[in-house]
Amino acid sequence: MSGDAVVTEIDHDEFNPRGTLALILVYFAILVVMWVFMYFVEFLGNDLTVIG
Amino acid sequence: MHIHNYEKIWLVLAMIMIVGFLTTVTYGATAVGIEMISDEEDTIDPGALDEDPRFAEPRVEQVGENEYEAYVVAQQYIFSPDPIEVPANSTVTFYVTSPDVIHGFQVAGTNANTMVIPGEVAKLTVETEEPGEHGIVCNEYCGSGHHVMEGKLIIHPEDEFEMEDDE
Ligand SMILES: [Cu+2]
Repeated sequence: MSGDAVVTEIDHDEFNPRGTLALILVYFAILVVMWVFMYFVEFLGNDLTVIG
Repeated sequence: MHIHNYEKIWLVLAMIMIVGFLTTVTYGATAVGIEMISDEEDTIDPGALDEDPRFAEPRVEQVGENEYEAYVVAQQYIFSPDPIEVPANSTVTFYVTSPDVIHGFQVAGTNANTMVIPGEVAKLTVETEEPGEHGIVCNEYCGSGHHVMEGKLIIHPEDEFEMEDDE
């Protein structure tokens, strides 16, 4: 890299970190699945739940 | 301050998740009726359990048409009574206490689980459904025999269950 020629200049909104967004959506999906599974399936589905 | 659109997306998702968690727990506590085990039971003299009408003779008692109470003593290194026998499709309230050290009372594989503290009475109500057998384990280290401290909960089919008269 020579470093003397700026090829393009973009501002804040023009830079779109798509990979980061995709990663976060994947994390979110994993968390939602785990949330539903752990609470509604594992916890509520486990007989002898304390009700009093 | 200027926030990038992508950042807005994940900020909103994080908020949705927090609200979702809170909603889920609220749903469990209200619609499903999940309760926490409290310390509202009166305290008791752990050295005088044999003078307590509930714990002098650990047992299961029928208190309503389909309601039972189990008075359970957890001590180094047994649970009494053992086994605890109750019918299916009934409401069972466990009162558990200890004369010596802290124990745990966990019906293995279920959500029925509490600490057992000397001087305190842990009260937990559950609804039994299917007949079957569950192990009960002590899940608080209570001494050299902790690993062998176990009991059993037997849920009998309703039509086969009969309370024995006072032994
Ligand atoms: Cu123990």
